[in-house]
Amino acid sequence: MKITLKVNGDVKEWDIHPNDTLLQVLRREGFMGVKFGGCQEGECGACSVLMDGRLVNSCMMLAAQADGHRIETIEAVGQHPEQGWKKTEGLSVLQQAFVESGAIQCGYCTPAMILAGLNLINQTADPTEEQVRDALSPILCRCTGYQKPVQAILRAAAILRGEYVPPVDGGPAVGEGPQAEPGEGAEPAPAEWLGGPGAPEVPSETPAASTQVRPKTHLMPQIWTTPEAATRTTVGRPEQKVDAVKLVQGKPAFTDDFEIRNMLVAKVLRSPVAHARIKHIDVSKARELPGVAAVLTYRDIPRVVHSTAGQSDPIPGPLDTFSLDQKVRFVGDRVALIAAETEETALKAMELIDVEYEELPAVIDSRDAMKPGAPVIHDEPEYVPFGECDPQRNLAAEIRIDIGSVEKGFEEADYIFEYDYEVPKVQQAHIEPHVVITYWDEDDRLVIRSSTQVPFHARRILAPVLGLPVKRIRVIKPRIGGGFGGKQEVMIEDVAAHLTIATGRPVRYEYTREEEFTASRSRHPMRIHLKTGVKKDGTITANEMYTLADTGAYGCHALTVTGNTGHKAMALYVGDGPYRQTPNIRFYADIVYTNTPPSGAFRGYGVPQGFWAVERQMEKIAHELNLDPIEFRLKNALRSGELHPFSTAWSEGREPRPEIIHTVGLQECVRQGMIAAGWEDKYGNEAWHTVPGKPHLRRGIGVAFAMHGTAIPYLDMGGASLKMNDDGSFNLLVGATDLGTGSDTVLAQMAAEVLGIPVEDLIVYSSDTDFTPFDKGAYASSTTYISGAAVTRAAEQAAERIRIRAAKMLSGDDHQVRPEEIVLRDRKATAPDGRFVTMAQIAHDSLHHQDQEQIMGIGSYVSPASPPPFAAQFAEVTVDVETGQVAVDRLVMAVDSGVIVNPLTASGQIEGGMTQALGYAVSEEMVFDEKGRARERDLKDYHIFRANEMPELTTIFIETFEPSHPFGVKALAEIPLDGAAPAIGNAIFDACGAQVDVNPATPERVWRALRARDQ
Amino acid sequence: MITSYYRPESLSEALERLSQQDPPAVPLGGGTVLSRQRKPDIAVVDLQRLGLDKIEQQGQALSAGATVRLQQLLEYLYEAKDLPERLRGALIKSLELEATRNLRQVATLAGTVVSCGGRSPFITALLALDPKLEWAGGEEVPLGDYLPLREAFAHLKLMVGVRFSINASLQFEMVARTPADQPIVCAAVARWPSGRTRVTLGGYGKAPVLVMDGPEPGGAAVAAREAYRNAGDEWASAEYRREIAGKLVQRMLQESAAGGEVL
Repeated sequence: MKITLKVNGDVKEWDIHPNDTLLQVLRREGFMGVKFGGCQEGECGACSVLMDGRLVNSCMMLAAQADGHRIETIEAVGQHPEQGWKKTEGLSVLQQAFVESGAIQCGYCTPAMILAGLNLINQTADPTEEQVRDALSPILCRCTGYQKPVQAILRAAAILRGEYVPPVDGGPAVGEGPQAEPGEGAEPAPAEWLGGPGAPEVPSETPAASTQVRPKTHLMPQIWTTPEAATRTTVGRPEQKVDAVKLVQGKPAFTDDFEIRNMLVAKVLRSPVAHARIKHIDVSKARELPGVAAVLTYRDIPRVVHSTAGQSDPIPGPLDTFSLDQKVRFVGDRVALIAAETEETALKAMELIDVEYEELPAVIDSRDAMKPGAPVIHDEPEYVPFGECDPQRNLAAEIRIDIGSVEKGFEEADYIFEYDYEVPKVQQAHIEPHVVITYWDEDDRLVIRSSTQVPFHARRILAPVLGLPVKRIRVIKPRIGGGFGGKQEVMIEDVAAHLTIATGRPVRYEYTREEEFTASRSRHPMRIHLKTGVKKDGTITANEMYTLADTGAYGCHALTVTGNTGHKAMALYVGDGPYRQTPNIRFYADIVYTNTPPSGAFRGYGVPQGFWAVERQMEKIAHELNLDPIEFRLKNALRSGELHPFSTAWSEGREPRPEIIHTVGLQECVRQGMIAAGWEDKYGNEAWHTVPGKPHLRRGIGVAFAMHGTAIPYLDMGGASLKMNDDGSFNLLVGATDLGTGSDTVLAQMAAEVLGIPVEDLIVYSSDTDFTPFDKGAYASSTTYISGAAVTRAAEQAAERIRIRAAKMLSGDDHQVRPEEIVLRDRKATAPDGRFVTMAQIAHDSLHHQDQEQIMGIGSYVSPASPPPFAAQFAEVTVDVETGQVAVDRLVMAVDSGVIVNPLTASGQIEGGMTQALGYAVSEEMVFDEKGRARERDLKDYHIFRANEMPELTTIFIETFEPSHPFGVKALAEIPLDGAAPAIGNAIFDACGAQVDVNPATPERVWRALRARDQ
Repeated sequence: MITSYYRPESLSEALERLSQQDPPAVPLGGGTVLSRQRKPDIAVVDLQRLGLDKIEQQGQALSAGATVRLQQLLEYLYEAKDLPERLRGALIKSLELEATRNLRQVATLAGTVVSCGGRSPFITALLALDPKLEWAGGEEVPLGDYLPLREAFAHLKLMVGVRFSINASLQFEMVARTPADQPIVCAAVARWPSGRTRVTLGGYGKAPVLVMDGPEPGGAAVAAREAYRNAGDEWASAEYRREIAGKLVQRMLQESAAGGEVL
């Protein structure tokens, strides 16, 4: 049928099928700013467009319904301000506000947010924060915590009203108005804070201006700076993200925004049963269906055992996976791969495949996995074990770590505390689903365009699986629409690649949201037993954790995720006095196979599970011994100069090496966090705990500490290269993968700092295995630290060549300038006497005029250390003691992540991370029935927080200068996942005395804990 | 899948299209349900041109056309300051919780009635007001009769509107994991000046249920507990739902008694 629409002011006549959704048609016609979130119920809103001025989900309506209507997409809003000789009006005010406010992380939902914001401002010139949050509420964002998008819309509305809006970066003001007052921007350190190695000090400069236009939503975090940071010009500034301008326009930057002729659509037939052998499979009818290009079963492709875990070689886990196997091991496991001309045809072909299963007994509950007689999930002869795993006992990995003697420690204790805790399986829920496109290029090399966090690992892992040498595979990573560890898995690329090999044609494979829940990866669920010995004065004498972790059907990340549970969470509290030198810690773990979807990497990587138990335990001990919960924690926590207790015992399955922790800003995190949270006024104040007129409501405040790690020492490497162009700009090529975190930007800031140029003079490209240097990829909180050091080295190499050339250019017969005297700043190389040559002059000279050379630099870095970031997390809740319903009112997080390279992107990481952790605390869990079938299959049942239900978020950075990094940085991306859930659990206890040891704290769990309290 | 799409200009044309059998034709409201239908093959009859999108106060009742969008009804209620405050507030709250703003922009009143599950906040609230569903041809069916036996009304081809009382006080409460999540338990209490009290529950099962319709509120909390005696599923135990249903109803009645009726 034909439809006529007015799209972005142009009348369009299109032929469509009655079944086509508006989303399908718009994307088919090139409107790539309209995104697909894989959802079936319209939950995510990434596909939002304006229809007759109303924001609607284009995935939830037929294109035919839009016939005769007016449609507006992001493509109608703003353009790049400079397009050669053609000048444009530039970005819209709202787009510019998104760019400046750091409101964009992965950028996948940004076009929808822009349209929502524009629609609101068009209707309401002076929106309240509540109205902004309501306008954004249909659009799920998994990255930002909504804080900065809300602020961006408020700022844009204020600018459009002609009001004064203070600049984010302290530059020229936007609009007319008074000079900004000092406020909530960068703050000086307190006067009494004595300096020391790596300690912050009071900066000499005036604090930056407040940038808020509404009091509740904060744009800039509070930062307590180090003296080293004050000397920087680019590092430490809220630079705009290097990819922001394209993302705010909805440019075709993502994997699926790519067109190629004759592309097939892939689908995977999945197992309806948890454990079975395929007795018989007949695909003949499916293959005969017109439009079907290939149907592959385990009989059609090589049987290559591998691991899907995107980790460095050798993968520290078992090899237990095949692209297709005769056995299925969970509901959702692969049975057959289909490629067809259209999605409809592929789905019809799936229905025509006849499969007979020989059902086997299944293990669904991890507690049953190692029982005698339990069904063996991995009995394949090709299985390659790693370490202590034992597939005959369904044991994917085993960890036994003893530090000191816990038996001796327990003997020396006055009290022993033992409790059990449980944490659920949860989903990364990135809004862009897993998606890949594969094709043969003109050299018969296989190109894999994938939304992956680990392009280089993907190439290495896939080569044997596909029967291709590494050199005949090219992996391209476009922008990623969020990953959070879910895309640290080489999980879908082989599907498309096998089908491209089979058909010779390009193939596109994209997960549905249901597949994300039933056939993807998730956080390992764990059952944890924790035993702690404590003296009367609150000194911890021994700490022992046993963890039963569920890796699901395959052992990807089994060892390393659970190892980190102990390595971080059990390392924080070493005890006081002599126990500081010889702590007594035991961490034992069994990581077992079950017939449920595999677990894997998820931001936090095992550490949030550990801190749920440890921090709930600390609270119970403090309460039962009548100790101040904060003093008790600080008394026993690690301090700077101490040995990381696990560094001599475990290192991700490799040889451990002792590591001293040089910087610990925990004490100041606690102090500043307490002030921000109003701890002294609330904790122990009975009047504050009541809600006037609502006797069924009780308020509570809770705290949790956290420490994490920064990269994997002696293992993971990042590389970078840099080359100078004619105009003095540089191409910065990095293998690191920015999955929305802003890593491309902070890497550019480091290079810019070294080269003395603005960030805008760097063209950052990441990542393509053909063109960019190797990088381990985005995981383990490593990019700023590892890849940043690599970029710094590359920039220093280029800077050296620049200085040498500049010295030559500035030297004459009567005066000689030495290269080491040259200062690089403001796009110039300046001699001590003030004479200078510009970067453009140097570039021109080097490329065209004399002693021609390509000024460039390369660098790589592998760290001998993994300096931990630290944090103090505070939470405020209101509990309905009759129903068990919990409202989280506020989260405050004070973080020591070393030097903050970019306060906007950094605080965005903390806000988004706290929001994910908030879901982990109260709503998110994946539940399976006795047959292994998933309860959650969409983002309606698996509820993640929306903009209009968020608590207030406050972020504080306590800078320390980490001496192992040239710019003093430590990690920050994962630590916000660690503390929120236990802080909320502790706040619930503070409110009403309910001990919730199984998270999330759902209303029924809290209600049952209240009943248990009363018994 | 959808094999044909029609957009009739009149009710009679729509009814003619809806009489089509091969494939069967079904009315299309906002498309939020049918746009993702894969099996069986159907033809859809889009109602957007039939003018069924009017909202009118008719004495003590509000009449809303079948294709009134949820957001349209919500915006009407925002402005309808003459309606009883409690009724307005409860309907607004339940509508805001029913679906995201984007979905409310297209989802229709009739479509929501036809497709709702037990966890629908809005239908739980609406059911308490004893609404009547108006069908093409003049037939009128109480929502309370329709919900438990929707398939029994398959012969009624086209809903044209919904009419419900506005001379009642209405309260709505729910328990969920987060403020905007689907309810695990929700309850609504409608009270008329005569003392008539209707109590409904949602958050469970295939549709919200009426648990009491009596001349006064006595026994409502007990009735609510009894109605959810076996309401256990993968989201909550029956024990929990039973206790909370009773508690929510009791709380609303106490609040109502304390604050007086706002009619």
